[in-house]
Amino acid sequence: MTATALPSQHTATRSRGGAFGNALGKLKKLFFPVAPTYLFMIIPAIVLFTFFIIYPMVQGMFWSFTNYVGYGTWHFIGLANYQAAFSDPTIRDSYGFTLLFAVVACILTNAVAMSLAIALNAKIRWRAGFRTIFFIPMVLSGLVVSYIFTFIIGTSIPIIAGVIHFAPLESDILANQHTAWLGIVFVASWVAIPGALIIFLAGLVSIPSEVYEAASIDGASAWKQFQKMTFPLLFPFFIINTILTFKSFLNVYDICVGLTGGGPGTATTSVAQTIFSGFFSGDYAYQMANAVIFFIITLFFALFQLSVIRRRGGSL
Amino acid sequence: MQRDNDPRSGRNHRTAAPTAPVGPGVPEPSGVSGGGPVLSRRSMMKAVGLGAAAIAGPGLVAGCSSSGGSTTKIVFEETKPEVVPYFNNLVAKFNASQSHVVVTHDFTTNLIAAFVRGNPPAIDCDNYNLTTSIFVARGVLADLASLPQAKLIDPNIQALVTQYASFHGETSVLPYSVAACGVIYNVDLFDKVGVSSVPTTWTEFLAVCEKFKSAGITPVYQTYGDTWTTQQGLFDYMVGGMIDVAAFYQGLAREGTNLGPNSSVSFEKDFTAPCKQMLSLAPYFNVNPIAENYAKGNQAFASSQAGMYMQGPWAVGQVIAINPKLKMGTFPLPATDDASQTKCRVNLDLAIWLPRSQAPAQRTAAVQFLDYLMQPSILNAYNQANLAFSPLKNAPPQTSPLVSGLNQYVRSGRFYQGAGTYVPLTIPVGNFIQEMMLTGNVSGFTSSMDGAFRRLAVRTSA
Repeated sequence: MTATALPSQHTATRSRGGAFGNALGKLKKLFFPVAPTYLFMIIPAIVLFTFFIIYPMVQGMFWSFTNYVGYGTWHFIGLANYQAAFSDPTIRDSYGFTLLFAVVACILTNAVAMSLAIALNAKIRWRAGFRTIFFIPMVLSGLVVSYIFTFIIGTSIPIIAGVIHFAPLESDILANQHTAWLGIVFVASWVAIPGALIIFLAGLVSIPSEVYEAASIDGASAWKQFQKMTFPLLFPFFIINTILTFKSFLNVYDICVGLTGGGPGTATTSVAQTIFSGFFSGDYAYQMANAVIFFIITLFFALFQLSVIRRRGGSL
Repeated sequence: MQRDNDPRSGRNHRTAAPTAPVGPGVPEPSGVSGGGPVLSRRSMMKAVGLGAAAIAGPGLVAGCSSSGGSTTKIVFEETKPEVVPYFNNLVAKFNASQSHVVVTHDFTTNLIAAFVRGNPPAIDCDNYNLTTSIFVARGVLADLASLPQAKLIDPNIQALVTQYASFHGETSVLPYSVAACGVIYNVDLFDKVGVSSVPTTWTEFLAVCEKFKSAGITPVYQTYGDTWTTQQGLFDYMVGGMIDVAAFYQGLAREGTNLGPNSSVSFEKDFTAPCKQMLSLAPYFNVNPIAENYAKGNQAFASSQAGMYMQGPWAVGQVIAINPKLKMGTFPLPATDDASQTKCRVNLDLAIWLPRSQAPAQRTAAVQFLDYLMQPSILNAYNQANLAFSPLKNAPPQTSPLVSGLNQYVRSGRFYQGAGTYVPLTIPVGNFIQEMMLTGNVSGFTSSMDGAFRRLAVRTSA
């Protein structure tokens, strides 16, 4: 913008009547609806997101209507992959397992993380030390954790259970078709609790201590304090934790691979494992159809959670 | 659609020669046709109108290495772990024998990923199974029909390739090594219970089992713990011994989505009798086979705990390693009372192929190495040394007494590829068999298989 143009624009804007100034403002709005600084920051993100997330996703959706195996010849087969996927017991079972697992593990993780957060927020000795110890599972790789737990659950626990005569744990629960999922819930929650714990701790720190002082003067019990004050004030954090843990549990992969490899039989094969298997069994396009179905289901959950947040007046 | 102008098709970043597209218009250096109407990944991208390949393509081609000159570097892939040192040795000898081609032996790369990246090895010699047959079906392998070596192969053995897949009648794969399996038996225990010759009919086989049983020795060692052991042994032997496996699966493909009670073939119709016969052997197995796995089975057979063991030559090697003094032999399981119907189970343990899309210099060098590997002296020596059978016409018989009992069956084409090997990985046939062995529910097994194949047909026939 030239020096001569500047004053004229200013006067025009101030008077709100100058035709020239109005046109210039419109032009500016047309080309820069937001400040260039924002664009400068947001465009690289959009480009990267489009190229690495949106483009592969659209590509995958495209392949789901073909019989492509990842290379070589292919042709369109319409909705046949979807038709087959809906009647495939292997895929159906993987959804059943994954949803059951995600719901149970999500509840367990949030319940334990919230209790631990309240405990670790209390005035106790070695508070920082305890917080560090509870944080450790988060920095370990899921595969490492699950290999260690394979040994603990399969060998150590049965020995201990045998000594104390606790029948349900005397045999390896991971080797039993009906109980293997419990082992996976336990280990996956163990890994996920620290992440939720940190968010709850941050939430607890944000609650001013005055409200507790007032409550204790009024004679509110510890449970009443939690019920009427802590939990409502923590609710936004609870929502965030639910969404984050549920989302990551739906995508469970490494824990299943490490603990059971999807077995016994196909009892603990997660949706992510089924999708990944398509690449090596020549069912790439078929499992892409499965991935699209999974995407739509996940989208549905996300929209549901968002609507709950809106109703409760919270925000992310 | 053609692959001209496609920078990816001729790409191989390990090449020493400049890359060039191999297309229908380019003269082939070796008489191997590399062209053909192949709908490539690239052409699809054009179709969708997404330009990412255009961005990625030129950048990746820049990865081509060093100068041209007279030597060509090629990658040879062979991943069978037991024979990696054997082939390392062959590669070294080949490299020393001439100065135009330098072969590097790769024994780790995942082939599917390599094809997805458009960067397959120049020549491959690996196990040929239903999964690798997808390379054939999708037309990514070169047609080797015009090579002189293609005419050396026993047609019965070459036919094994097309039993899984074929592409426009091309010769996409050349068999290199045939593994044949049957019932492994303990020679000393056979003598001990008074069996002088191996059984050739089902009745004779049952008589041998009875002799062992009355002598207080487990007749057959069986392991259900792993799902593959029962599948490739007992299941494949019994089905292959009673029905024409290749014809059955051809019929299954013809029926497609019509597969059911009224179709000409079905698991219910054709597999019920073999499965019942399988289950009838249960009294002759060791106690609690579900608690036994492959390693335990080898251990038990090596310590003479059973007379017979339904495993392949790979187990023979393992058993010998545990007990080098054990005398063993192999005979095909006779599943009927007509001895002339008895056949043995085979698989193409190693087979050679070249990728269709390959730079001319790479193709020439790969064919030169193929010439070397497929010389009868080298090929036959490999098979002799590894308890396998040569796929060449008029090959010398396998002399090792461990598997020589199968010579006449392999040479006369009396063999089949296992019924379980035709089942795609998406159908857990091993688990189904394991369940049938434990519950005795044959109709549950056949209906599971029929249902799974019908669902598969919905999308594969579309």
